[in-house]
Amino acid sequence: MNRSLALLLAAVMTSGTIPLPSAAQNAGKRHAVRFPAVSSTIDGEIDAKLQQAGIAPAPLAGDEEFHRRVTLDLTGRIPSPAEVDAFLGDPAPATRRARKIDELLASDAFTDRWTLWFGDLVQNVQASTNIREYSLGRNAYYSWIKASIRAAKPYDQMVREVLAGEGNSFESGVANYVVRQIQRNGPPQDTYDNLAAHSAEKFLGIPMLCISCHNGGAHLEAVNTYLRNKQRQNFWEMAAFFSRVTTRGSRYTDPANPNANIIRYDVGSNPAGTYRLNTTDGNKTPRAPLSGQPATVTPAFLLTGEQPRAGEPYRAAYGRMLTADRQFARNTVNQLWKEMFGRGFVEPVNAFDLEKLDTQPTHPALLEALATQFMTGGYDLRALLRTMATSNAYQRASVYPGTAPDATYFAYRNRHRLPAEMLLDAVGTATAVPVRFNTQTLGVITSAIELADPLEARRQSGSQFLDRCGRGDRDDVARTNDGSISQALSLLNDPLITNRVRRANNSTVQKLLASTQDPGTIADQLYLATLSRRPTADERRIAIDYLRSGTLGDKAEDLQFALINSLEFLFV
Amino acid sequence: MSFSRRHFFRIAGTGLIGSYFADVLDPRLLLASTTTANAALRNSAKSCIFIFLSGAPSQTDTWDLKEGAWTPSALAPTSYGDLRWPQGLLPKTGAHLDKLTIVRSSLAWAAVHSLGQAWAQIARNPGGATGAIAPHIGAVVALESQASRTVSDVLPGFIALNSGGIPTCGYLPAKYAPFGVEPASEGLATLAHPEGAARFAQRWDLLHALDTARANGSLGKASLDMNDFYDQARTLMDAPGINTLFSFDDAEHERYGATTFGDSMIVARNLVSARKGTRFVQATLGGWDHHSDIYDPAAAQSLFTQGAELDNALGALLTDLEAGGILDETLIVLVSEFGRTVGPLNGQGGRDHYLRNSVVFAGGGTKGGRVLGQTDAQGANVTDYGWSAKRDVRPEDVTCTIYSALGIDYTKVRTDDPLGRGFEYVPEAKDGGYQPVEELWG
Repeated sequence: MNRSLALLLAAVMTSGTIPLPSAAQNAGKRHAVRFPAVSSTIDGEIDAKLQQAGIAPAPLAGDEEFHRRVTLDLTGRIPSPAEVDAFLGDPAPATRRARKIDELLASDAFTDRWTLWFGDLVQNVQASTNIREYSLGRNAYYSWIKASIRAAKPYDQMVREVLAGEGNSFESGVANYVVRQIQRNGPPQDTYDNLAAHSAEKFLGIPMLCISCHNGGAHLEAVNTYLRNKQRQNFWEMAAFFSRVTTRGSRYTDPANPNANIIRYDVGSNPAGTYRLNTTDGNKTPRAPLSGQPATVTPAFLLTGEQPRAGEPYRAAYGRMLTADRQFARNTVNQLWKEMFGRGFVEPVNAFDLEKLDTQPTHPALLEALATQFMTGGYDLRALLRTMATSNAYQRASVYPGTAPDATYFAYRNRHRLPAEMLLDAVGTATAVPVRFNTQTLGVITSAIELADPLEARRQSGSQFLDRCGRGDRDDVARTNDGSISQALSLLNDPLITNRVRRANNSTVQKLLASTQDPGTIADQLYLATLSRRPTADERRIAIDYLRSGTLGDKAEDLQFALINSLEFLFV
Repeated sequence: MSFSRRHFFRIAGTGLIGSYFADVLDPRLLLASTTTANAALRNSAKSCIFIFLSGAPSQTDTWDLKEGAWTPSALAPTSYGDLRWPQGLLPKTGAHLDKLTIVRSSLAWAAVHSLGQAWAQIARNPGGATGAIAPHIGAVVALESQASRTVSDVLPGFIALNSGGIPTCGYLPAKYAPFGVEPASEGLATLAHPEGAARFAQRWDLLHALDTARANGSLGKASLDMNDFYDQARTLMDAPGINTLFSFDDAEHERYGATTFGDSMIVARNLVSARKGTRFVQATLGGWDHHSDIYDPAAAQSLFTQGAELDNALGALLTDLEAGGILDETLIVLVSEFGRTVGPLNGQGGRDHYLRNSVVFAGGGTKGGRVLGQTDAQGANVTDYGWSAKRDVRPEDVTCTIYSALGIDYTKVRTDDPLGRGFEYVPEAKDGGYQPVEELWG
């Protein structure tokens, strides 16, 4: 750690982050525990930076905007009209936002949304460029992730379990962490390298792949000053933690599909395994010892140089060191901040430069403070998300009065298009006609966010919509919230959308028309169902005029169609 | 909140103009500096039809025919000059041999389907340093052609036909991702509103009356980008004759072989002939992974079923492009992820994965009527590379060739990649590691 960062950290420590209950204290009553609001931790540095730049933050978002945002960000769903009314009618408005956040954190929908997040992170998918997990392996992994998130397993423990995962890949979900990284067109060292590069990128935020083929020097000066001084040998020492992993594939007969050619992997350990510097083919430049150096590599954690203890299994040692390192907490904070605020303190999130921790993050002291809180609070994802969601910075309006400053100030809510699954589910919720997915092994699923991977139900219309909306494939197509022409065409003309606003199939419009013919009520209710708010006076007038301009049923369908295509619906 | 971009659109007029200039105003691309070795480019083609034969056809039963005791009589080997051709398998393509260049010294890098397929479409090792962020070569073509687009170029730069699951735009903006189409006789369903044009016009007007954020930009830049995509979608819906490009009648469907791939070739022909902004069309024909029963006439997917599907469609495409005067400006490329084992068949009557394969080019200013490279008696090894580099032709070289034909500097290195290491259009090309197959032109 360099000196300025040490000073900065000291300042954070003495200014007093609010201590959280330890994991042990927390056990068994996780969702009942109320943490104090710590918006001062977050807002301190953000507000100071705004003040320094002479930028006024946007005012806090209204209750309806906040309610929709926090529901989508934490649980991936839009609030129903009943939820909106309950929230707005809460008799204790001073605390309702904090209580709503707690309610969302304790919900099943929270589990689904963050299971999707972790599934993306570890790239759990039945088939990828490198390897097939098969739906059986993917399911085991998915179930493990979901159960871990639901039980609020401490995040450091989750990652340790993944890194040390063993067993047969169709029963032991975590065994698939290794399976996913098997590199079939190269020597085993390529697989060890994949595991080191993936874990360093996803759990530490460090682009270690850069030094898997060459030393940092003469390559990374302009990219990463920390890695500039690292050698390929240092990367090999990381990869050597995986050199005792064994992956034995065997033919598996699926009773449900006896003719399918399915390979199941048994992930285990070979206590004599070593990382040898003896390759000339595969996906990396040749591996050879430096002159006078041994031809095998001893594991050593790149950030600290620490080696496994005597008798300690290599992968367990790696998980212990990785999750104990402050960078693990820092990286997790950065990733979750991006989920909640649309961008990380460090961007891209996988490009931390450990020599620039005082200048690379947009808010270095805040990043450190949250990392400390995450570590001392038992690596509780919900607690960290609660801290973020209760801050003023999170609750700001998205419409900035005047010329909007750069998004890095967090002076206003920087909106992004709903991630693909959330968008499709929002259409299903708003119209009350959910999209059904007939999955191969998990039955019928009626919300996209619960799909175990992006290849499930691949050819169905809902899946094609999700692909167009950039969900990625957990392989060589990354998730994106960018727009495209085909997305716009789908939203305008795909029967997936247009059929759902029809007064049929027990849709929102159909049920509404059965209960009222009053244009004002219809306008109010369609706004509530679609945008989770009531219309403004202007919107209400335009909507009522339109509803009166022809057959009421047609016009009501048109109104919900227009609201689904509004930018407010598509963005959060 | 005010956005100068929105202001600019008002000055410029329509959303169509806005989208035309969108890149100039996209900071990410505006700031993207590049370096290049300033390669000499052929610039002989306006567009490319990239045909991916996934599963990997047997090269020694097709483009590099090797006859032996295993050869079924139905292949009907026939001589065209000194070329032996499977006349029984590819008769219609055989009628266009004067337009084809067959490269027999092609060599894949990986004998795993998914790896080889990705490799051929992103021009690099998917497991390498930039594999995870690399755009499809069609996305690079779309990006590079953006600056020369005119107001009548309403179609996306990169359209992928029956090619789900292919690599997309990598780290480039989503507008360069393949616009995916599953061809159908009635055209592209989402170009027309299911409730009719009149109802759509009312809905569109209502949307714009209510959604004031579209006009004032109050929800930020990303939402304005989305609004641009809506404007482009509307333009595509309203432009006359667009859906006829994606449609076909029964007679054409029959003439192209009455298959899904045939339908793709009809649409590909229409798209390049229309000259409305599409520069790269990919079509995929799978079903070539013949580990067993490769010659079995009763097999659901054999060399003969897939060969017929390819031949009917490719033959008709070449005929039509030539008749339409479009062939000279359209580069056609046929690739696969690798080849198949040579000589006698394996124990299951099939052929397994093999790195040696053939690549076929036609049109786009290439000369045609020739074979580059030779293999030995059974096709196991190369005896003559057949081009100036005197080495195997790799997927990276094929990509250099496509880029050069389209006037794209294949030595370019973008500096806007998220890894900050520089994104090479073709790795090592700037140092001469890979190069176009110049022999195609003369």
